[in-house]
Amino acid sequence: MEFTTQLLYPVDQVLLAVMIFSIMFGMGASLTIDDFKTVIRYPRGILIGFLSQFGLMPFFAYGLAIFFELPPAYAIALILIGCLPGGTTSNMFAYFARGSVALSIAMTTASTILALLMMPILLEFYTAEFTRQISAEMQTAGSGAEFVIPTMNIIMSLVLVLVPVAMGMFLRAKSRVWAKTAEDTAGFMGIIVIIYLIGTAFVRHSGLMLQTPPAIYISAISVGLLGFLFGYWMSRLFKLSPIFQRAISLETGIQNGPIAFAIILLSFAEPVQSQMLWLAILYSTFIVMSSSFITLYYRRVGKFDFEVYKNTSIHNRLFGDEYVSDYPDGFLPKRIENDPSQGLIPAQKRD
Amino acid sequence: MNNRITAKNMADLYREAANRYKSLPAFATRKKELEWDPVSFEELYERGLNLATGLIEMGVEAREHVGLFGDNRFEWILADYGVQLCGAVDVPRGRDITDSELIYIINHARIKVAFVETKALLDKFIELRHDLPGLKEIILLDPEASAPDLVHKLDNVIQLGAALRKHGDTRAEERIAGIQPDDLFTLIYTSGTTGKPKGVMLTHANMMSQVKVIPIDLNCTDRVLSILPIWHIFERVFEVFSIACGVCTYYSNVRHLADDLKNVEPTFMGSAPRLWESLYQKILKKVDKSHWMRQFLFHTAYFLSRQYMNSIYFLTGKELKQEPASKLKRIVLSPFHAVRWLLVLPVYGFFNVAVLEPVRLSAGGSLKATISGGGALPEEIDRFFNYIGIPVLEGYGMTETSPVIAVRLQDNIVIGTVGPPMENTELRIVDLETREVIYPNSNRPHKGRGVRGEICVKGPQVMKGYYREPDQTKKTIEDGWLRTGDLGMITFNDCLKILGRSKATIVLSSGENLEPEPIEMKLNQSPYIEHCMIVGQDRKYISALVVPNLEGFRDNGISAGNLEELAKKSEAKRIIQQEIKQVISVSGGFKRFEMIQDVRLIPENFTVGEELTNLFKMKRHVIQDKYGDLIDEMYNGKPVGVA
Repeated sequence: MEFTTQLLYPVDQVLLAVMIFSIMFGMGASLTIDDFKTVIRYPRGILIGFLSQFGLMPFFAYGLAIFFELPPAYAIALILIGCLPGGTTSNMFAYFARGSVALSIAMTTASTILALLMMPILLEFYTAEFTRQISAEMQTAGSGAEFVIPTMNIIMSLVLVLVPVAMGMFLRAKSRVWAKTAEDTAGFMGIIVIIYLIGTAFVRHSGLMLQTPPAIYISAISVGLLGFLFGYWMSRLFKLSPIFQRAISLETGIQNGPIAFAIILLSFAEPVQSQMLWLAILYSTFIVMSSSFITLYYRRVGKFDFEVYKNTSIHNRLFGDEYVSDYPDGFLPKRIENDPSQGLIPAQKRD
Repeated sequence: MNNRITAKNMADLYREAANRYKSLPAFATRKKELEWDPVSFEELYERGLNLATGLIEMGVEAREHVGLFGDNRFEWILADYGVQLCGAVDVPRGRDITDSELIYIINHARIKVAFVETKALLDKFIELRHDLPGLKEIILLDPEASAPDLVHKLDNVIQLGAALRKHGDTRAEERIAGIQPDDLFTLIYTSGTTGKPKGVMLTHANMMSQVKVIPIDLNCTDRVLSILPIWHIFERVFEVFSIACGVCTYYSNVRHLADDLKNVEPTFMGSAPRLWESLYQKILKKVDKSHWMRQFLFHTAYFLSRQYMNSIYFLTGKELKQEPASKLKRIVLSPFHAVRWLLVLPVYGFFNVAVLEPVRLSAGGSLKATISGGGALPEEIDRFFNYIGIPVLEGYGMTETSPVIAVRLQDNIVIGTVGPPMENTELRIVDLETREVIYPNSNRPHKGRGVRGEICVKGPQVMKGYYREPDQTKKTIEDGWLRTGDLGMITFNDCLKILGRSKATIVLSSGENLEPEPIEMKLNQSPYIEHCMIVGQDRKYISALVVPNLEGFRDNGISAGNLEELAKKSEAKRIIQQEIKQVISVSGGFKRFEMIQDVRLIPENFTVGEELTNLFKMKRHVIQDKYGDLIDEMYNGKPVGVA
């Protein structure tokens, strides 16, 4: 499959830059110092989240790339997506999925910072084989150049996207009201731009959609779904409370797409750039749909335990932190009866 | 999952709740914004038993009427526990009771022992003591207030009982065992819109039947916010229902409502149309003041949800059907609705999440349902809340039916109706003049659906009668059928639609009949109008008496220090007349004889107890008498006076 035309026109690139900037700015505007403190408050949740985000996801991406024998550029893009930190949209999905928003925000925060360290290492580790393939191809094509993962550039791109985050946080510290407006506007603008980009990409390259082999579609869709599934089971295995399970699940599957765009545009050149972008576009499109369905599903199954959690935490909010809500025998299902949620729900009985 | 407690009587229910829900909070009282005092089911029952024993010691007999004068607070429910657990009957009334009502009720109900909430109310009792010869003992509820000699403090009575029970006193338990389903649990005097108060006798069986069939599922994880007056049966039935479900009731009030909605995040509450009207106006005002971008987003979101919901209502047959449905029309329109629903769904999904959710948070964000009662909910407001996803259910009932007759169900929301009748409840629509049964009547087309008449009810919730008023009782209950005095009809999807009060009907001299309530409801939505009453019985046309809204005028640049000043401004009258012309028009769905020809502004606000009943319904005869001059003036063609 060849890219005969440019995937993104210069105007699109500008729009994309605006989108990345505004989304990251909006993310910063939603963060406070307290969110960083929350990270320390839920060490267990964060740790398990960390394992699934930087342990499971890159591995799944790699596994899919091997299993489907993806062309190297797509494989690298998929692994790149697998190594990304969590996205801000996951916070919104966590809210509607009756998951812990605090944990979701804390995980997004922690993973965005940690990505500076983890992404270069993970990329180096998982993509070695594919870079060799590309180099070999380039050699046979006679360009004579060697393809390497531009690690430094990636770090620089990451730092660059963190600048608007810091600016957003600065605004938040100065004015809450303006930060809220910025957050809303940024979120809205981000969605408009992404709809525009996806729309135009599909219209301009409708041929591309038909040419794209099913394996690439399946990989782009499954990487998120596997993240949801295993994020959920892993946290369940570690006996986290259901609201944490749902938050970690969504956080694992939903990656920060805009960062992927930024890295691809800033760090990679043709001939791989277009192919990588195309995969990032596919991932971003399908993840919105799959997270919507997952969220609706979680919302349903989590209704009862979330109501218990909510009622208990409101008891503590109004009656004091020492108040113990003791539900009648047999009212709570086994799963949440003795909830070891590490100080998150102090009201529940613990021995 | 129906896990509510069903019991034989109130005392039984209270005991069961203590056994099952133990240390869970039953009631919570606000101390500060984020500091509330909970009392558990166990503790409440224990203190109730102590109080009951204390009351027995003081000489309260089984089935005796005990006065309970006060508003929502924990001590009120504690007093109720005491009364129920000693097999007595409470006679509740709020703090705002007038002197004449107080004297009438205490003497008519033959009250010997009364709970009094506050020091101020107690002073009133002391002042009127010569008119209350039968009243022997007073117990003061407010623990902060000091009680003069001869007045008991609630705590002292509880301690008295506690000491007795410690020495093996089981009289309260014996009393509980002796309660019969047909015994009264409360005697509620209705202020009514006409005449002297009537004592409605409600039995344990009445209340238990309501608790059993209220079509809402609550459990220990729910929270109920209490804002309506507890001594009114509408609020009380929900508090008893909450006890049966193990739900904690949080006492709030109008002043703190906005904060409490946010902090308590109630999942259920009984509410009145006024609450929704004011919340509706607050939301719109906030939207109007916000950034243009947000305004645009809100209006887009609202538009989308309207399209979305209307298609759902149509496809599921939940639209208001006042006429027989045409099958052909249904078949033709259904695909269009299905397509619209599908097209709107993804965009609606996004806007619902991003824009409407924050709006829903203004009502706490967790409401599973709320039943609005005590008056008609204007349709626009009803639609607004259901479109944005706050499930406001409208109910219909009266004190005489303890109180719910019909209520809209969560999965069967037909806006504009009050839903199907409750389980075990039979409804009839009866012709006002001939007394012929219109519905259900197999001789009529569609069994009599869609035809209006007086609503009559038969069911386990119908009162025993009016206390010491056998004639009134006979007039109201005929062969077990209670005449509600309200007009209604059964829609073609078997819901009840209320069409006004038969007694409020205005008959013009031309012989045309009209219901003033829908017109008044429409006018009351205007920001300029606080209250209004339509008059015109036996006249050629109708006119309106209007209490202007000071704040509404101020917001629009006409300021006045008080209503008297405002009522004198000719500009104010002109604005009101314009407003009326705009709202009540033929194109707005009103008939020609429903056009308001003249208007007078009233220089003072209506007050509860005077022009309004405790549920803010207008006492039409009182207003007519008080402003008789103004009314006459409108029909004598002399444009002088107030305006």
